Amino acid sequence: MTELRRAFGAPLSALIVFLAGVWILGLIAAPQIIMIEQSFWTMQRPEGAAELSVRIDALYNRLDVLALDHAAAADDAARAAIDAERVEVQGEITALEAQESTPVKTWTLSNYAQMGQAHLAIFAKTILASLAVTAIAFVVCYPIAFAIAKLEPPRRAAMIMLALVVPYAINELLRVFAWQMILNYSGPLNAALGLVGIGPIPFLESGTGVFVAMVYAYILFMVFPLYNVLETLDTNQIEAARDLGAGPLQIHRRVVLPHARPGIAVGCIMTFMLSAGSYAVPYIMTRGTADPWFTQLVYNRFFQATNWNVGAAYALSLLVVCTGFIFVMMRLLKVRLKDIAK
Amino acid sequence: MTVSARGMEITLSAAAVRFGDFQAVHPTDLTIRAGEFFSILGPSGCGKTTILRLVSGFLDPSEGDVLIGGRSMRGIAPSDRPTALIFQNLALFPLMPVWENVAFGLEMRGWSKARRRARAIELLTMVALGDHADKLPSELSGGQRQRVAIARALAVEPAVLLLDEPLSALDLKLRQHMRTELKQLQRETGITFVYITHDQGEALTMSDRVAVMNAGRLVQLGTADDLYDRPANAFVATFVGETNRLTGRIDAVEGKRARIATPEGPFVAPNPAGLGVGNHAFLFLRPERLHVLTEGDSRANMLAGRLVRRDMEGAFSTLVIDTGQSHVTVHRVNGGDAPLVEGAVSLGFSQDAGVILPLGETAND
Repeated sequence: MTELRRAFGAPLSALIVFLAGVWILGLIAAPQIIMIEQSFWTMQRPEGAAELSVRIDALYNRLDVLALDHAAAADDAARAAIDAERVEVQGEITALEAQESTPVKTWTLSNYAQMGQAHLAIFAKTILASLAVTAIAFVVCYPIAFAIAKLEPPRRAAMIMLALVVPYAINELLRVFAWQMILNYSGPLNAALGLVGIGPIPFLESGTGVFVAMVYAYILFMVFPLYNVLETLDTNQIEAARDLGAGPLQIHRRVVLPHARPGIAVGCIMTFMLSAGSYAVPYIMTRGTADPWFTQLVYNRFFQATNWNVGAAYALSLLVVCTGFIFVMMRLLKVRLKDIAK
Repeated sequence: MTVSARGMEITLSAAAVRFGDFQAVHPTDLTIRAGEFFSILGPSGCGKTTILRLVSGFLDPSEGDVLIGGRSMRGIAPSDRPTALIFQNLALFPLMPVWENVAFGLEMRGWSKARRRARAIELLTMVALGDHADKLPSELSGGQRQRVAIARALAVEPAVLLLDEPLSALDLKLRQHMRTELKQLQRETGITFVYITHDQGEALTMSDRVAVMNAGRLVQLGTADDLYDRPANAFVATFVGETNRLTGRIDAVEGKRARIATPEGPFVAPNPAGLGVGNHAFLFLRPERLHVLTEGDSRANMLAGRLVRRDMEGAFSTLVIDTGQSHVTVHRVNGGDAPLVEGAVSLGFSQDAGVILPLGETAND
């Protein structure tokens, strides 16, 4: 703090602290706190509350009927009888409404217990599939990143990186839709396969399409961290290993991969988080024809079951697993937060 | 503790390297003797590192051939050559402990862990780092890292050790110390050392023989004394050691000497290139071979000037003398008894002190 003031002066320091505070509160703390809060309560109505409102509704109906009867009544005597009954019914309504109460906000853990067998299975499938997407992305990206970072002259490396980025200038939805069309049952890929006598293969309906589109959609988040970390590897180390008799596999196992650990961790974490949290990709690619992604369940809790509390609990469960994944990755790769921040 | 490898001879036979249009190394014939401490000296970009890469196998010659121990190295991978390379930045593996660094070559040759660790410790003990086996390279000092790199290279028992300016990152004191260590190591092991450097001090002190390179060509090959006392051309004369350069025209030739007329006056000096009368030439004079003359003293060659500056260097002083035409530097030993020089000075040097060489590229151009 003192150092900050010495470096920037009091007004600028105050601004920096203020902006950092807004950042932490607005972008990190507030959304999480709201979700966590939501997930721990439910609106509970007291015992018999449902029956009570049914009774009140019935009495109001009776009141409407009596009003019609009143208008249609033949003589004053009948009208008086109806009026008497109306007063009686009105009185009953008032009495019942007095008993009626607003739902009570009740703190509970029950939102987390709402996940049935089916939803749990989807949850597990989503996590496993995201892990698979992450693994595929790594297998695809590592050779590419290594080749660009270490084998290409710097100028060409920059061009290749640019070429890799260009498709990502297009909106993600459009790109996913494009894949949806390519992999469609009657799409160009199946048409091409048909020419050689294969298929048609239900890519989208089998869930394969989700994989393809996800690897495609998030592959850059794996390539860039890998490329960045591999670029910092001193080429002399590779040559030293070669000079000492290491073959390509041994060079990667003993020299390149250990060096790339922070980049692998960052790439895997980003790809996994994006895959597990993706909504648009599975929604567009399956459109209900294959098992949903867990995020779709969360969406449904919020906007179809209109139970925001259970939705929040679902979302939070996903968050906890993803956070757990980060720590497991860091542990596995022996990477500290400090290395990742680099 | 001995390293059983014996040095091997290296021969470049009309070896040349071209990168596109750029001729990095012109066709070069060179024989480095078995068990010799050989240096390749030159300014950056002169092609010395390219030659090192030719020998180590990271580069193949565009023309000609490289032979090690009489065997052509064409198509033989770096790992299959009897060479080991020490990189300028050492290229130690930063994530491996010191002993694993040293044992890396043995690991690649399939040695068991216990065996290679024992051997690594043996080698580390040889370079006085036996206690540091389990540290990371980053925990060692510059000189210690240097020795780890040497131990790592020696572990694979090479017949030729290639060193690419490995001392350049060290401070002066340590560098001087490491020179002695390297020289001693070379004597003990009998391995052929090929040492690449742009530092003439390193090349002159350690080497049995030195090759001076400039712009992709080998410009002189010889012992340190050859290079310093008998430079073959203007480049070597100016690149190796300090020198004064006078320009003039030869007006007389007497046997192995010639007289050159310069704006500073006529001087007689050896004429190894056998230049004839009328040729324009350089006269090179080493600062320590110029003497400040006292009253009544005389030499075969004399010139007069005024003292401009005196720089105290410790063992000697550098006097900068203005001759009216140019500035000449003179090294004067600090004997403690020489009177301080002031104002007008008379300088002299013997007939064999300088050297007359044809005009040509110098190191300072």
